[in-house]
Amino acid sequence: MTRDACPAMLGLAAGALVLLAAAHALALEVQITTVRASEHGPSDAQLIDLRPRLRRLVGYRSFQVVGKERRRCAWQTSEAFAIPGGRMLHVVPKGMRDQAVVMSVKLMDGSRALVDTDVRLQNRGVMLFGVGQDSRAAEGALIIMLRAED
Amino acid sequence: MSAERVMTCAEVEGLLDAFVDAELPAPALLAVARHAGGCEACDAAVRELSALREAVERSVVAEVETLDLARVWPAVSQGVERHDARVEWRRRLRTVPAWGVALAVAASAVLWLRSPEPEPARLAAAPRRNQAVIERIDSSGHFELRRDRKYGTTLIMVSDQAGQ
Repeated sequence: MTRDACPAMLGLAAGALVLLAAAHALALEVQITTVRASEHGPSDAQLIDLRPRLRRLVGYRSFQVVGKERRRCAWQTSEAFAIPGGRMLHVVPKGMRDQAVVMSVKLMDGSRALVDTDVRLQNRGVMLFGVGQDSRAAEGALIIMLRAED
Repeated sequence: MSAERVMTCAEVEGLLDAFVDAELPAPALLAVARHAGGCEACDAAVRELSALREAVERSVVAEVETLDLARVWPAVSQGVERHDARVEWRRRLRTVPAWGVALAVAASAVLWLRSPEPEPARLAAAPRRNQAVIERIDSSGHFELRRDRKYGTTLIMVSDQAGQ
């Protein structure tokens, strides 16, 4: 290695470290799946495994995926996920505690907060938000599945 | 030794104890008896030995009769039972495979090593896959918390009354 090449190599190494640090900061992967629940009709094939659980929790018979988004989120930074029907889900990952993801979740309908909560969800776990008597769905409810993975 | 030959006193003296105890072969017994019949000294020695033998015998019998044997048999019986039990356990142990014994020893060792330390963490239920803890919740409308028992999945159900 020549003397001229040394600064370039050091610069590359520093850049790689910065990139690694940035990747580490964007450590939490959040996946939002929106499902329309109704009394009648077929269920989405990708929800076959979840259907019995949804049936027990929500009470409807038919479940169709209407939106899905996966995003890597930075810690302590608010991320907004657009929900079909015009609502927004704001997620702020706060940190890890006992193998669980601590985050703030706010479901907004315009300027009105339908739900504003702080949760501690098991890493790679799924939790659900449901909006019942949803006028924007022809009938039934809207289910928002939130999965977080460190 | 020939039964026809007449024994000397020295020969008879060496056989007296065996003669009195009737331990000699028949020809030798006859030869000693013939000699004692014609020899006063040897006859007297035979009679003396016989009397001594009878006295010892009577003494032994008398001592045996004074013994209390009432507790002997129960003790013997218990001894026999203990022995039988040991034999039975050895027989059972021989039928247990070696790996079974090794497993039992290993399990005992593990239990023994673990017993002094309480382990509250192990007693606590492991978190379920989807377990969620709601630390704070606010809502502009009516909301309901539902939880799936099997997977621990939490649902926050809100009623969008204003949206209707």
